[in-house]
Amino acid sequence: MISFRSFKPAFWDHADTPGSHSGLNLKRKWKLIVLITSIICLSPLVIMTLVDFSLTRRTIETEANTGMRTSLNTLAAVMSASLAKKDPVSGAQTLWQDTFDLPASGLPHDLFLMDDTGRLLTPSFYFGPPDTRPVLDPGLFFGPDGIIETRAPDGTKVLAGFAQIPGTPLMLVQLRQADWLRDLWLKPRLKMLWFLCASIGLILLSIMGLATYLVGRIHASERLRIEALHHEEHANRLASIGRLASGVAHEINNPLEIINQKTGLIIDLLTLGKDAAPDQRLLPLADDVLEAVQRCGTITRQLLDFARHMEPSVEPVDMEEVISQVLALLEKDALHRGITIQVDPVPEIPGFECDRSSLLQIFLNLAENAITAMETNGILTIAVTHENTDQVFIQVSDTGKGIPPEDLPKIFEPFYSSRTDRWGAGLGLAITYGLIREMGGDITVKSRVGKGTRFILSLPVKAVKKASSDGYLHLPKPDFPVRSKPADDTSGVVHGRQ
Amino acid sequence: MSEKVLLVDDEKEFLEIMSERMEARGMTVKTADSADQALAMLEKESFDAIVMDFKMPGMDGIQALKNIKSQKPELQIILLTGYATVEKTVEAMKIGATDLLEKPADLESLAATIKQAKADKMLVVEKKTEEKIKDILQRFGG
Repeated sequence: MISFRSFKPAFWDHADTPGSHSGLNLKRKWKLIVLITSIICLSPLVIMTLVDFSLTRRTIETEANTGMRTSLNTLAAVMSASLAKKDPVSGAQTLWQDTFDLPASGLPHDLFLMDDTGRLLTPSFYFGPPDTRPVLDPGLFFGPDGIIETRAPDGTKVLAGFAQIPGTPLMLVQLRQADWLRDLWLKPRLKMLWFLCASIGLILLSIMGLATYLVGRIHASERLRIEALHHEEHANRLASIGRLASGVAHEINNPLEIINQKTGLIIDLLTLGKDAAPDQRLLPLADDVLEAVQRCGTITRQLLDFARHMEPSVEPVDMEEVISQVLALLEKDALHRGITIQVDPVPEIPGFECDRSSLLQIFLNLAENAITAMETNGILTIAVTHENTDQVFIQVSDTGKGIPPEDLPKIFEPFYSSRTDRWGAGLGLAITYGLIREMGGDITVKSRVGKGTRFILSLPVKAVKKASSDGYLHLPKPDFPVRSKPADDTSGVVHGRQ
Repeated sequence: MSEKVLLVDDEKEFLEIMSERMEARGMTVKTADSADQALAMLEKESFDAIVMDFKMPGMDGIQALKNIKSQKPELQIILLTGYATVEKTVEAMKIGATDLLEKPADLESLAATIKQAKADKMLVVEKKTEEKIKDILQRFGG
């Protein structure tokens, strides 16, 4: 059995709380739409039906009455001709007996003769056999119509048609039940009424369906509008949290720098000083302080990263310009190391948009990685291809030492690093991965030990709008699964997608 | 020969400690607590390198960098910053900063950068002198 609840539209139970719905009572709106449309659509139909009803009734009644009158008049004329030169009463009774010897068969169409005193001359269904007493008041049988409405002895409402037989004091009377006619027009009309009811039902159903659809649409758009408002409010709040975080981080950095330098000075004094040997515990203590300062520095930097990430702004980006900006930063380092940077001609990418600083960061991280991997002498190649309309492919390859297959699945994990200097925090590729994923892209890496490494990025041309950004840079989890496809024992492919 | 460095920062405490530490590493250090003061000092003295904070009240690091570079293009300027974004770094490098280091700064890497900067400056100066000599020779020779 189908539950009626499943037909209930979403807005039906929507609470019309002030503030949340800008005063829109959707249920009332729905009822109003249904009522007004029903009145507009159904009233002509109902009026037409009623008019048809009464018109038909009147037409049928008039037709039946005319028919009755005509036949009575004709019969009267015929009888008048037959009774010429005869005693009207006995002649008529004989003629009646010969011609209309109708037994009282229960027919509701009672036909009889009556004289001018109201006496019954022939048998009648309602009044029985001929009688000397007057049964009907002859004074009633007047009028141009030849039809009157009266009551039979049993109380039945009857129509009485009458015709004077010309040249005699006799009157031909026909009694007919008044509701006999009703059967004639009402029954087909009642059949029609079913059809009418079905049509009204269908019309009402379609009106209700339409109203539900319309109000549902209003409800949906209203909800979208409110969601957008909430989203904007949320984004604004996040942005102010971001500004606060960035302000706090900047302010903390200055005293942190003083602690850093003062501790450095203490260490300087302890190590470079010519004083008598100091307490042996001092140096490790100062080192601990420095370490704590470094940790604080990392936290403030993360805070700033977080804050900056609050407002990723999507804008049209010139890929070539971004690449040249990144290379401007790295050129010196590359020159010192004797590394050649080779950029293939960047194709025109119509409509390319993304968060510019994220793209800069991605290029910088990958290029820095490549340069570090090569140490000295090598070729860093950057190639951008744009084959289909909705994706851009970027390849960053080096001729460095490569990544061993067993390390390949780990390279996107946070804090994985092959570097030993202090800049190798092991976050570069993890951040790159997070940024690419957030832009709706993907990263793949192919590497061959001793030959080099190639990172292949795919980015959407049109920036992917996130339904709700929590402003947090999503890093791959340390145990995230990767698809590893080692071609042989010295090479492998790893795919950044989870 | 020791490196002569001008240290510019609005935090006086930072200036004191840094100069002491840098002097302990054999550098000659002068300090200025604003970009304006630094510009005034640059007119009187010459330095091998300037170490300057990025964010200062009044004239900020980028503006000061532009001014100094327009006056003395051969001067090596190292910027210190609390937080380096890629855009900021790109902008500084475009104007001609030698390097951009993040705070809390590691003095050893700062010292190494200064040494490198001095060598670079010498190279630039040498080239310029060479060009001048060539120019003079050409003028007299031609």
